[in-house]
Amino acid sequence: MAVIEIKDLSKHFDDVRAVNGVDLAIPEGELLVILGPSGCGKTTLMRMIAGLEKPTSGVISIGGSDVTELPPRVRPIAMVFQSYALYPHMTVFNNIAFPLKAHGNISKEDIQKKVQWAADTLGIEKLLDRKPRQLSGGERQRVALGRALVKEPKVLLLDEPLSNLDAKLRASARDELQRFQRRLGVTTIFVTHDQIEAMGMGDRIVVMSQGKVMQVGTPQEVYHDSANTFVASFLGSPGMNFIEKENFLVGFRPEQFVPQEIAGQKDELQLFPFSVKRVEYLGAEQQVYGVVEGSAEEKRVIANLSSEMHVEIATGETYNFAVRKQQLRFFDKETGLRIEPRPL
Amino acid sequence: MEENVALKPRGRFGLRYWTDREDLLGPLFLFPAVIYIIALVGIPFLIALAYSVTDVTAGNTSLDFVGLRNFQAILKTPQFLTSLGNTIMFTVISQIIIIILANILALILSTDFRGKWFARFLIMLPWATPIALGTIGWLWLLDSKFSPIDWVFRYLHLLGEPGALLGAQKNLFYLGRLELAKASIILIYVWRMLPLSAVILMAGLTSIPQDLLDQADVDGAGFWRTLFQIKLPLIIPIMSIALLFSLIFTVGDMAVVYVLTRGGPVYYTQILPTWAFYKGIESGALAEGAATALFLFPVLLAVAILVLRFSRRTEVT
Repeated sequence: MAVIEIKDLSKHFDDVRAVNGVDLAIPEGELLVILGPSGCGKTTLMRMIAGLEKPTSGVISIGGSDVTELPPRVRPIAMVFQSYALYPHMTVFNNIAFPLKAHGNISKEDIQKKVQWAADTLGIEKLLDRKPRQLSGGERQRVALGRALVKEPKVLLLDEPLSNLDAKLRASARDELQRFQRRLGVTTIFVTHDQIEAMGMGDRIVVMSQGKVMQVGTPQEVYHDSANTFVASFLGSPGMNFIEKENFLVGFRPEQFVPQEIAGQKDELQLFPFSVKRVEYLGAEQQVYGVVEGSAEEKRVIANLSSEMHVEIATGETYNFAVRKQQLRFFDKETGLRIEPRPL
Repeated sequence: MEENVALKPRGRFGLRYWTDREDLLGPLFLFPAVIYIIALVGIPFLIALAYSVTDVTAGNTSLDFVGLRNFQAILKTPQFLTSLGNTIMFTVISQIIIIILANILALILSTDFRGKWFARFLIMLPWATPIALGTIGWLWLLDSKFSPIDWVFRYLHLLGEPGALLGAQKNLFYLGRLELAKASIILIYVWRMLPLSAVILMAGLTSIPQDLLDQADVDGAGFWRTLFQIKLPLIIPIMSIALLFSLIFTVGDMAVVYVLTRGGPVYYTQILPTWAFYKGIESGALAEGAATALFLFPVLLAVAILVLRFSRRTEVT
């Protein structure tokens, strides 16, 4: 059964439709990532689930009951903000204990026990007497997480919780957060603009743009079977290449676009004459920029070649590049939506 | 079209040279303020210090050192002791009322409602009024015969008829009755300092990150818990600064009492500044006047240092 159900949810700020008719159902224990560029409405959507923002229209239910009109404090949710929002004048212990004290009806010993449990789980037992300003970024994140978890929420909301960490720490924090979520099995919604976080952590990903849900699916689905050109080009770095044909677009991923010799059996391949404009050597891979000759409008196309392929590519030359036919994706030129394969 | 413009060599001591010299400009710009403070605060202060340990009077201006005799002498006069007590009482009571009301006002003004700017404007008005003029306004409001406040009470049948709540007499004689006179003085201090304190606290409240308040909301804290456990602790540093401002103003002001009661009835509402004025200027006992005026200086200095240290220590970010 879905823990959270969202029906036709909208939020308009004057003329701006920050969130526009979103439907979502999130099953118990899932880690759902909401991914999108800044300004796509993902944070507004999360704030509405938390109750910090009042929807213009639509219904949110958590655990089977309608919470649309309820204030945050009575919703069975916990949230970690991007800034961690630790109370700067309280010790770590008091920060974590705050939701318990606010809840009332919990004895001092129980509070003590629960805070201790959260601290043990997160490995911050030694920090309980410190103030937030004496903590590192990673420690602050754990404290914020601990404070969210002692509430034993039905739903954990995370708003870009890794973006304040430095790059190295982020990778290990990602791993830790995911293992942690699996272990506790708490239904989690994770908002991010970072597709690596989204792909690496999400059971499912919701891709949003301009207040609307573009696609919902597993990382594999949204990457390999993108529902439209927005999802296809937003995911992957660089995103999907598109070649214009008469009334449709053909798309393929940069790493699927390789020299013919490497690609293998000819009958399965779609060949493209690739005129190379620039080569960027990046160590593990090289990115080759160019255009496909003979397409309706010569758009820039990128090939992402592993350094292990040991191919020499020279600027200004034209090569035969190939994509496996089954890897080609077809999109409607007007709507950008995925369509059935066409003969090329 | 681009043209190559040859950079014109600048005169070595041109305007730009002088305006770039921060080491010269800094002191230059500070100079007027320093002169002003030395001339109008520093020198009078030193003169007062000197007067307080000599036997100077308006009639005999030779400075003969007498040690702490002036302080010993004033401590024996009931007027001085009353003034000292009043100063402390007026200050403490008014500061307590100010800090409570200022917090309430700041909380109200930091929420969103229609006509907020107008409310803010009205609340700031007392602060924009010269203190002596404002007090004269209050003098009229509290007039023994023509007080509009009494008039309103009479209109509401609370005053001026047999069995009325506030008495059968026609007027309350605010400034003629000791307790009412003291209350009136405290009221005017509150009226005067409340706006500034409220605005300072409002700035403090506005500076609390919205994330923290949202977090408190998500964590389940209601209005009172958020107020007492999040908002107030976070604005304590700025609250102590507001308190210090208002405290120093209240202790140092003589206009309110001078205009309102002239220290009366008898001398029972005298405060140190007015008593120092009457003693030192009006009756010419310069030395004792100076000693009276300076009496609280060490205490105020200590309070100021303590408050500033406290404010820095409680700062959390």
